[in-house]
Amino acid sequence: MTQVPRVECDKLCPEWPCEQPEEFRHVWVVAEVTRNGIHEASLQMLTPARKIAEKLGNKVIGVLIGYNVAGYAEDFIKHGADEVIVVDQEELESYDPYVYGQVVVDLAKKYKPEVILVAGTMRGREMAPYIANTLRAGITADCTDFDVDEKERDVLLIRPPFAAIMLAYIRTPFRRPQIGTARPAVFPTPPRDEGRKGEVIYEKVKTLKPRTTILSRTILEKRDVPIEKAQIIVSGGKGVGGPEGFKILARLADILGGVVGGSKKAADAGWIPHERQVGQTGKAVKPVLYIAAGISGAGHHMIGVREAGRIVAINIDPEARIFKQADYGVVGDYKEIILALIDELERLKKQGPEALKELLGEESRE
Amino acid sequence: MRIVVGIKWVPNTQAVRFDPKTGTLIRQGVPAIVNPHDFPAVELALRLRDAYGGEVIAVSMAPPPAIQGLEHVIGMGVDRAVLLTDRVFAGADTLATSYVLYHGIRRIEKEIGKVDVAVFGQETIDSSTAHIGAQVASWLGWPYVYYVKNAKLDGDRLVVTRQLEDAVEEIAVELPAVISVAMRALKPRPVTLKNKMRAKVEKPIIVWSNKDLGLDPRCVGLKGSPTIVAKVTYLPEVPRKKLVYKPKDPKDAARWILKNLFLDEKTGPLLRKVLWGDSGA
Ligand SMILES: Cc1cc2nc3c(=O)[nH]c(=O)nc-3n(C[C@H](O)[C@H](O)[C@H](O)COP(=O)(O)OP(=O)(O)OC[C@H]3O[C@@H](n4cnc5c(N)ncnc54)[C@H](O)[C@@H]3O)c2cc1C
Ligand SMILES: Nc1ncnc2c1ncn2[C@@H]1O[C@H](COP(=O)(O)O)[C@@H](O)[C@H]1O
Repeated sequence: MTQVPRVECDKLCPEWPCEQPEEFRHVWVVAEVTRNGIHEASLQMLTPARKIAEKLGNKVIGVLIGYNVAGYAEDFIKHGADEVIVVDQEELESYDPYVYGQVVVDLAKKYKPEVILVAGTMRGREMAPYIANTLRAGITADCTDFDVDEKERDVLLIRPPFAAIMLAYIRTPFRRPQIGTARPAVFPTPPRDEGRKGEVIYEKVKTLKPRTTILSRTILEKRDVPIEKAQIIVSGGKGVGGPEGFKILARLADILGGVVGGSKKAADAGWIPHERQVGQTGKAVKPVLYIAAGISGAGHHMIGVREAGRIVAINIDPEARIFKQADYGVVGDYKEIILALIDELERLKKQGPEALKELLGEESRE
Repeated sequence: MRIVVGIKWVPNTQAVRFDPKTGTLIRQGVPAIVNPHDFPAVELALRLRDAYGGEVIAVSMAPPPAIQGLEHVIGMGVDRAVLLTDRVFAGADTLATSYVLYHGIRRIEKEIGKVDVAVFGQETIDSSTAHIGAQVASWLGWPYVYYVKNAKLDGDRLVVTRQLEDAVEEIAVELPAVISVAMRALKPRPVTLKNKMRAKVEKPIIVWSNKDLGLDPRCVGLKGSPTIVAKVTYLPEVPRKKLVYKPKDPKDAARWILKNLFLDEKTGPLLRKVLWGDSGA
């Protein structure tokens, strides 16, 4: 580990307060609250929070902001928070990034947390950099892991850098709190323990006058099984070429009782919704079987499938990186091969398990 | 209205090649481009100007070659541009970057006039942090909204439509404000010859160094960045079978894949179950 020399306060930017690290303790998880309670992604952040807190000898503290939210404090505790700070005020009925962000900033100035974790949902990604900047603290987005340098009490915020095949360990040695986000489903939700007890602290704060007004909100329907829960994922990349190609992938997914996912390029092109993107800035998935069609195998993508049981890769380029990271690779045009897979599977399905003899028997005859 | 739009000059990550023999990235000669996700932001800024009058000023903190990128957006119709460039700005993380952009906007207000809206892209292709918009808003003390798909003026407020995971919202924002535009939200207009000529002949690009901004060198660039890359490691490799097959035809490919998957202890039982239910297991 590179030693990062401690720097005297007068060598740091004078516009940013010089913090005494020893005054800062405990790991915060700032909750996003939905109509049904604490967002799953926020509960997931309790997993790395617990790991960091144990190494630092700290408590895990949930921060819950909104109106009529106090009842959710119990959920935070049952999933692993030691304490919860609740700000429950009518002015906080609707989320606004700088009004909510400023509440967290004011609480952080009072309680001095050592670490703040925020789930990288869209609202979290909107609010977290505001909190960090207003505290003049560092922030690292889309972490895939966290660790701790126990001697310096620095959190290592781990993310794959530019064109990732590697991991960068980022630290913020001169500033507290240390702030990071991670995308939903990168960490598991800690199991619920009905017996867990913890303290709930109620705070009243002065809120900023909102300068935004929500004029209307249309709730979007939730579709399909989320990819992080699927056992089989048929995933497509740039090589799939467009939405038509994804219809073919969907047919294969249907037969296999699986779901469709894709690379960032596929999501950015609008061929799949962003919540179906796999990878560092998408989701980490753990299917038994991951079929990747027209995906090159960039580190940013592959970090999302490290825990896949088996990976099948179909790519037209024999040099594609994904072949070095897959179990079963086939060189060829994805469209023809997926269509042939659909045909074979339909035939097998119709003929029943007996039909396998012919397919598997070939091996022994050869 | 006066609209500032933030442009990042990024390496073209698509052009980065992987050397399968050495297992390293070939970054040499990788050209830089305007961050593609900034074009919808430029488009929204231009539409606001076209509808309500005023001017659009592109601003970028980058080394001098970024002039090309600024010329490109002037070619799309941006009125003028400001390049914030100085050796001491190098190595900045998002806090130190937003600090310089903030002072750039303040100086634009002093030299040119009041800014009503600062528009940013959703994120960049090289870091994709999506930090800068919120950080600049925090410095300026302005309200802000992310993931904006469209915007119109309503009296002295901006009414924006934005889409989150679970909802589409229409939000009225007091001005001045910061907005960040969702990727692909709007189709960017092409560069025209006339505007391109204007960029070349009139050179409406102002270059400010740190002499002009007068910032404490401890607050910018690498020195002003609270985050440090302490270490870089290879990801431990996950053991995989790495079998690669060159099939005779698609049917041969399909049969090879299925044979392997049925014989595999991890995937075989699951496949039997999804095809034939319990009778297959
Ligand atoms: C900070 C950061 C975060 C990122 N996060 C993510 C992330 O979460 N997820 C992610 O996926 N990416 C992410 N990326 C992007 C990542 O680096 C790659 O650019 C991306 O994964 C490449 O997508 P792709 O494989 O679909 O496209 P490409 O790399 O363009 O590959 C397309 C492949 O398709 C093959 N092909 C073409 N035609 C056919 C055909 N007919 N049949 C079969 N194969 C064909 C080609 O040979 C090629 O290998 C991130 C990047 C950055 C900088
Ligand atoms: N150096 C820069 N100069 C100008 N604008 C920038 C710069 N870096 C980022 N931005 C803007 O901020 C947005 C988000 O970038 P990022 O936070 O780096 O993902 C980009 O889409 C740009 O509009």
